[in-house]
Amino acid sequence: MRSDARPDSRGAGNRATGIRSAALVLRPSPRTSLVLHRRSALVAACLILLLGAAMTASAGLGQTYVSPAAVWHTLRTGGGPYDLVVGELRVPRIVLGALVGAALGLSGALVQTVTRNPLASPDVIGVGHGAAAATVLALATGAAASPGALPAVSVAGGLTAAALVYVLAWRHGMQPSRFVLTGVGIGVALSAIVQLYLTDSELEAAEQVKLWLTGSLNGRGWEQAGPLAVVLLLCLPALVWASRAMRPLGLDPETAAALGVRVDRTRLGLTVLGVVLAATATGAAGPIGFVALTAPQLARRVTRTPQLPLLCSALTGSVVLVAADLVARTLLPPLEIPVGALTSLVGGPYLLWLLGRRTAVR
Amino acid sequence: MIRRLAWPAAVLAVAAAGVLSLAVGTRAVPLSAVADALLHGGGSPDALVVRSLRLPRTEVGLTAGAALGLAGAALQAVTRNPLADPGILGLSQGAAAGVVIAISFGLAHGFSGYVWYAFAGAVVAACLVYAVAARGRGGASPVKLALAGTALSAMTAGGTTVVLTSSSATLDQFRFWQVGALSGRDAGTVVRMLPFLAVGAVLVLACARGLDALALGDDTARALGHRVPWVRGAAALGAALLTAAAVAAAGPIAFVGLAVPHLARRLVSGGYRAVLPLSALLGAALLMGADVAGRVVRAPAEVPAGVMTALVGVPVLVVLVRRRGAVS
Repeated sequence: MRSDARPDSRGAGNRATGIRSAALVLRPSPRTSLVLHRRSALVAACLILLLGAAMTASAGLGQTYVSPAAVWHTLRTGGGPYDLVVGELRVPRIVLGALVGAALGLSGALVQTVTRNPLASPDVIGVGHGAAAATVLALATGAAASPGALPAVSVAGGLTAAALVYVLAWRHGMQPSRFVLTGVGIGVALSAIVQLYLTDSELEAAEQVKLWLTGSLNGRGWEQAGPLAVVLLLCLPALVWASRAMRPLGLDPETAAALGVRVDRTRLGLTVLGVVLAATATGAAGPIGFVALTAPQLARRVTRTPQLPLLCSALTGSVVLVAADLVARTLLPPLEIPVGALTSLVGGPYLLWLLGRRTAVR
Repeated sequence: MIRRLAWPAAVLAVAAAGVLSLAVGTRAVPLSAVADALLHGGGSPDALVVRSLRLPRTEVGLTAGAALGLAGAALQAVTRNPLADPGILGLSQGAAAGVVIAISFGLAHGFSGYVWYAFAGAVVAACLVYAVAARGRGGASPVKLALAGTALSAMTAGGTTVVLTSSSATLDQFRFWQVGALSGRDAGTVVRMLPFLAVGAVLVLACARGLDALALGDDTARALGHRVPWVRGAAALGAALLTAAAVAAAGPIAFVGLAVPHLARRLVSGGYRAVLPLSALLGAALLMGADVAGRVVRAPAEVPAGVMTALVGVPVLVVLVRRRGAVS
């Protein structure tokens, strides 16, 4: 989240031109400094507070109402009358929702930067469909005997599909538009395979698979959240690199190359990172659409940075998914709508509205 | 030489696909028995299979394929995009969503009822996709159209899921229809499809000259005396009607309209007045061929035609995308 303003925020030059610097410079020691975009830092802080509020609200609302004070009490002491409802049923899925939302927001920002198109998302480059196809193939052939193996299978499927799209679209270099269009095509083919399985199997298995395919936090918790948290932590250094590497990609390829940026390699690195995050999130909660698509755009509208802000996209994704899960759980009791269906239904019109207002689509 | 053979070859392909469709399947019926069943009727098992199962299926397949081929050619002309197709642009999914809504909420019964909802869905989808993609610099480029179509498809899929998860009986009914299969269609469907197909085809064919001019650019077309918005609107409306009829009859089938116009453009000269009818013929042959292949590939189980067209169409899409100039 660096800014384009000059790092020296106290210089006479700024005063002379009358421009207030947008950068915040932290100097922990005389030889090190950290530049933060002031507005982004503020937005990130607000989003963290918002996320905390959303998570507390989600822990409290539902068929049993639990007041926020009781929620905190249960979390601190680990016992009490609400331990089952809050501690075992709700908190794990809320935490998982926050993690999945963060991973999706990050991967959306990365993919949209590489493809230079706000309509692109990891689902488009085949990750979601690849994960789904791998899962149904594993179920159909009985290769995945234990249910614990399914997330790993779907991660592998997502990665393979994205790799296939990349290889097929690569021709004397990578063009984002080719990448996207190939991804759309491969996605359709993979979803055809999934549909084939759905018609092949008996009704009950088909219903279960269809529910998984929609993407839902129902019945998921710490088992899925653990691996996802580990992956996010491992990706942290890569994400720090990515936030700096993303900046020159806002320029057209010729200018970026003239500035000494290895465009193809940077794009590949960012794509790999984005795909890994999206595939892991899909493996944890099934394919949840539109979070990766809209969270970066929402975040950028608020922070007004020239490129998509990584941290704010992650936080926005978390907030969106936790809020969506809350709504999906409580909208039509006792029916729990899968959160993936809700995000698709709501995210679509919102995206269309967002794009209609102002576009920087190339 | 090839060009002169194009029309006879196309007609032959359609006829061959139709005949194969009548003969091939879990129960292989020899050609003589097929002819016998068609001409003389009769009650033998072969005749029953041919007349009551395969004949309706063949009829629906040929007409839906022709409709989709024609719609694809029209859409490629209207959007000036070599990668346009009712499936990619989201029209098929919009029509499918219309049908799901109509049936789930009991708003319509029978084909003639819910084809109107399919049409409404296809028109709404087309308007949304075009509106979203046309904003910003560069207008409605292939990438933006494809992405907007994908976003719309995901949205309708989410909506459909919400509607279907509330009732497992409807899920069962729909999961076969949703994949785009030609099996289980009853005999009256084609007859009910024909009016919609006729109107759609007339709309599209009437615009053929306008589409030729449109390929030269909006300004040139206007200078040649064509009313660009009317041509675009009429052709798109016709394509939506054709797609709606095909989807309502056979479920959402993609990629028929993608490859066929390219082939047609290579085979004939004479602009869209020739390309459009040829696309219809080739589309019919393609869908029927895909259906027949689907019966053979995993015998005795069947691969639905929608899956086969997707599996065949995607390599075509990849090849088209890799060709320089297809994508800018």
